[in-house]
Amino acid sequence: MTQFFQQLSDGVVLGALYALIALGYTMVYGIVQLINFAHGEIFMVGAFGGYTIYHYLLPDNMPALVALPIVLVASMITSGVLAAIVERLAYRPLRNAPRLAPLITAIGVSIALQEMIRLFYPNADRGEPFPQLFPNGQVHFGGVSESYVNCFLVVLSVVLMLALRTFVLHSATGRAMRATAQDPDTARLMGINIDRIIVTTFVLGGLLAGAAGTLQGMVASPIDFQIGFIAGLKAFTAAVLGGIGNITGAVLGGFVLGIVEALATQYVPNGSALKDAFAFVVLILVLVFRPTGLLGESVRARA
Amino acid sequence: MLTPRLARVAVPIIVGALALTACGSKKESSSGGSGTHIVKIGMIAPLTGSLSALGLGMKNSADLAINQANAAGKIKGWKIEFDPQDDTGDANTGGAAAAKLASDNQVAGVVGTLQSSIALQAAPQLNKQNIVMVSPANTNPSLTQGQNYLKTKSRPFASYFRVATTDLIQGAFAADYAYNTLHAKTVYLVNDKLVYGQGLNEAFGNEFKKKGGRVLATDFVTGGQKEFGSLVSKVKQAKPDLVYYGGQFPEGAPFSKQLTSAGVKAAFMGGDGLVDKSFVTTLGVQTANDYATNVGAAVEDLPAAADYVKAYKDAGYKDAFSAYGPNTYDATNTIINALAKVLPGKSSIDATVLKAVESAVQGTDFAGITGKVAFDQYGDTTNRIITMYKVEGGDFKKVVTGTFSG
Amino acid sequence: MIPMLQRALRIQHTWNLPLRTCQAMAAAAFVLEVVGTNLAWATYTGFPGLMSLSFYPAGARSYVLALSVALALVAVRFTRRRQAGIWASLASFALTLQTLIAISRDGGGLVNVSAGAWITLLGTILGIIAFVALPDDGAPLPSSWPRLPRVLDGLAVVAGIGAAMLLLVYGLSVDPANQFVGLVIALIGGLAALNRLGLFAWLGALYARQQGLSLALIGLAAISFPFTQNGESYWLRVGANVGVLAAAAIGLNVVVGLAGLLDLGYIAFFGVGAYVAALYGNAGLGPSRGHIPFLLIVPLGALVSGLIGVIIGAPTLRLRGDYLAIVTLGFGEIFRIVVNTYDGFTGGPNGLANIPDLAFGSFNFGLPHKVFGITLQGFANYYWAELVLIAIVVFVFSRLDRSRIGRAWVAIREDELAAAAMGINTVAYKLLAFGIGASVAGGSGTIQAHVATQVSPDSFVFMQSVLLLAAVVLGGMGTVPGALVGAAILYAVPEKLRAFSDYRLLIFGVLLILVMRFRPEGMIASKRRQREFHDTEASGSDALSAPPGFAGAVP
Repeated sequence: MTQFFQQLSDGVVLGALYALIALGYTMVYGIVQLINFAHGEIFMVGAFGGYTIYHYLLPDNMPALVALPIVLVASMITSGVLAAIVERLAYRPLRNAPRLAPLITAIGVSIALQEMIRLFYPNADRGEPFPQLFPNGQVHFGGVSESYVNCFLVVLSVVLMLALRTFVLHSATGRAMRATAQDPDTARLMGINIDRIIVTTFVLGGLLAGAAGTLQGMVASPIDFQIGFIAGLKAFTAAVLGGIGNITGAVLGGFVLGIVEALATQYVPNGSALKDAFAFVVLILVLVFRPTGLLGESVRARA
Repeated sequence: MLTPRLARVAVPIIVGALALTACGSKKESSSGGSGTHIVKIGMIAPLTGSLSALGLGMKNSADLAINQANAAGKIKGWKIEFDPQDDTGDANTGGAAAAKLASDNQVAGVVGTLQSSIALQAAPQLNKQNIVMVSPANTNPSLTQGQNYLKTKSRPFASYFRVATTDLIQGAFAADYAYNTLHAKTVYLVNDKLVYGQGLNEAFGNEFKKKGGRVLATDFVTGGQKEFGSLVSKVKQAKPDLVYYGGQFPEGAPFSKQLTSAGVKAAFMGGDGLVDKSFVTTLGVQTANDYATNVGAAVEDLPAAADYVKAYKDAGYKDAFSAYGPNTYDATNTIINALAKVLPGKSSIDATVLKAVESAVQGTDFAGITGKVAFDQYGDTTNRIITMYKVEGGDFKKVVTGTFSG
Repeated sequence: MIPMLQRALRIQHTWNLPLRTCQAMAAAAFVLEVVGTNLAWATYTGFPGLMSLSFYPAGARSYVLALSVALALVAVRFTRRRQAGIWASLASFALTLQTLIAISRDGGGLVNVSAGAWITLLGTILGIIAFVALPDDGAPLPSSWPRLPRVLDGLAVVAGIGAAMLLLVYGLSVDPANQFVGLVIALIGGLAALNRLGLFAWLGALYARQQGLSLALIGLAAISFPFTQNGESYWLRVGANVGVLAAAAIGLNVVVGLAGLLDLGYIAFFGVGAYVAALYGNAGLGPSRGHIPFLLIVPLGALVSGLIGVIIGAPTLRLRGDYLAIVTLGFGEIFRIVVNTYDGFTGGPNGLANIPDLAFGSFNFGLPHKVFGITLQGFANYYWAELVLIAIVVFVFSRLDRSRIGRAWVAIREDELAAAAMGINTVAYKLLAFGIGASVAGGSGTIQAHVATQVSPDSFVFMQSVLLLAAVVLGGMGTVPGALVGAAILYAVPEKLRAFSDYRLLIFGVLLILVMRFRPEGMIASKRRQREFHDTEASGSDALSAPPGFAGAVP
């Protein structure tokens, strides 16, 4: 039974990471109905942004706990700026294009970003060890143990998610975002600058992905040019599982996915090989019974 | 008015094209005297995509061997050109690369591939054209010993050779060391569910059981996985003496690190796929208990190997030579040596010449940087020397060199 | 940079030099270019295109020469051809500059560049000035091209398709990276110039009048492709690959383009077919299950694949849009993971290999054959087998497309609710599309197994599904020629990009972005979709005959 709770807690750690990235997917989807396949790469580049600051700019003897917020913020800014650039250069010109065109563009962006980092960032093809900015050691709770950095990951993720929720629900920009998601044309008539709102959404998603980049680096060093691909795929799954377009849903989806993978690893024969397949089976079952995901509202037919 | 749309298409393309030519290959300003013939050595390896770290190490090592041979004028009257082709780690792309090389009548030998699945598409095509192929990395037994290698061995491709030792020997050597020297009695097997990792795991497990050890369980990691919390908890619960990992360093390094941080005391061991600087740097300063086997004698015991390491560094390649660099260097020299025997006095490359190259490769016998290079009747290497390394002080330190004799 | 260039080119009335002056300049440019290209460009031997030889305009020099001759022809009818002239002269300038840079980099400095290159560069600059200086002449006039008598019409079609075929074969044979880039620049400039002159609009009308002949000729060109390869196998092997994937792309086109169901796991159905063929086709390595004649394997693979498609589709097709996308993605991944995990059944990561070549009686597909005295490598046989498959698939779909079923699919794609209200059984039709798409993929997968001689799970990754989808979107959703062109581009272009070695994938990604940016409705858009997207613009040339990337740019 202890092992069950241990796996549950490992699943939550993994799920928190998925959830942070999934938020970017779900927000962008909610606003422009685009599956932003390049989001995983934005997360990856964020991790490299944080690493760059630490490795090349910060003094070597800086205390880890001082460096941590700097690296974190650097990652977030890198991802946020990159998300804005990608939106402006790649997606905005396709705002009125056939629905699948931006999807292919997203794939092109994803390939291009991966290859750029691989080719031009030193050693990104074999992995750079990410700085360990959190003290080693473990928290014990009953028979369950988690490292400090894992606990930090979960706490920080939850804080960021709550901050995002507050922002979307209670700020003027957040209201504008929700209005745009519901009906862009009417929102525009109400005086909302749609372009600005869309880019804000991309940036917000990027900020969270950047934070996830630093966290992933600390929990699962090293970082390389392809960490974004798998993470992106999982986060997309989480976003759909929770009901794409729904912020709480993305978080829930992330946690469910993480926990399913952890439990499958422990309890299913060949589970560690099949865990990804298992995650998809759960997703499909959920969608068969709830066609719009765990928390998704029933889709309105768009005329 | 010039339509802006059109200008917007053309200008970036032109600018991009100009930028690209600026990154073109560097070549000597003149291709020697008029009496020099050109022979090409091809390569099939992942130069882009997820496995490119390994592939680029292979490319550079072959390039180094060819440059050295040209500088030394090793083949009288001939100049070697290198023609590396990308396979992106995808079998069909590799198959097309093999077709391209097979269609080129200047190609007299091919180094590669990294993955066995790609070799299974490339070898038949090259064999049809009698072009020798020497792989530094393939481990699938059927490539040399035929489809029924368990019952009756028969060689499917006369022109296929490999300098890589099969998993069988490496895994067994590691099992022997783990049981007899580390006194491990229980092992937890983990692999990446790919040809190489799975083969290594099986070879280790079989020998370990034969010795009297116990395999607690076999588990898997998936390609690109970096977070192993759940698997680590599962291993921790099993309390093994040793975790034996079959796979490459991109997954192996974070897995070992996370095992250590979670307080798993078991030793961690793997094959040559782990032998990369990145594995050591990832583990960092933590007190790790990590071992890895590599093919061939240790660099410090072989002066030729030390020369290679130095020459590689001096050549200023952007990427490290990685796990298969030394093997590739030997594979390339195998082909160069065969060409040096056959080509002088000839003026073109035809089927008879290629056949002669093939038998020259079969009769290869020279001291390479991983040990003696020679092939048995199936095209497998006869070099069975394995070295066990331990991670210490930020590097791989030799523990013991030997061979597995059963 | 781009706006700057545009502004520079828009300067119209301030320049406005007399026509005579412009023509004199153009003539001088022409002379300089002809002289320059006939002189040596490089001081050393070894650069592709024999650049050190005088009076031998090979390689990039031949492109410049061709462009300058074209330019001279344009100059004859000067007054209305300003833009065509600008394009052609810009291209020859860029081409010369690119070659010049390449020679100097390759040789190690500008000293390696001979006088010929500089003279040509001067000529091209003069050419640009000559054409920019002209007064603006407005839009091209397609009507200025003559309407030919019927016999000549047919000959023009033959010539057009023949020229395209020759160009393709030549383009495939150009190997050195620098020269290939040069060719691309020359083609862009040359084709744009011809487009300005209204040639493509004219050709488009021509093909529309001679549709039967055009189709027959295109088919003939496709069939004769192996004869152009000098007994080499490389492009035949690529052609074989393109053929299989083109057939699969047509199947995906039904699912995505016609019925509007976004499928991100389509490669799994292809994989099912490949595995069926490998398991029952005497694969040497791996758990073989015996031997079934290949002519039965193809329908069997299609059937199994189609059945799996229906089984997957039945519970999930009521999902909308992107929910369906992730479910299909999930099934694709599940297929790969399961195949990789259960070694006993599928060979696991080792896959199945040594799949024998197809043989009917004594005719072995893998061996070279002599036809009309020309040696054809084995892949030619597979290439033709795929042409047959594609022909069948195309025939069936063009019938389906225009039938009640095809109209029902389009109705569902456009508005599912309305379609249901009109009495269309949406679930049944969606299931039909899904099943047909899956079985086409399965059928083509069976051939792929024999072409590749090996199947393993790493050939059926998510990225492959995405590439197939990209082929459909890139080519033009909902049209059969679109799927064919898309597959050809997506699987042949990376082969041409081999010359760029490590940068290959990066360039490919950037090209995807650029194509979608400038041609979001695909290379060959269905006329209906193009109207939707370009409804503010006047209808351009016929999309079928326009060169990639330019048809939509007609103002």
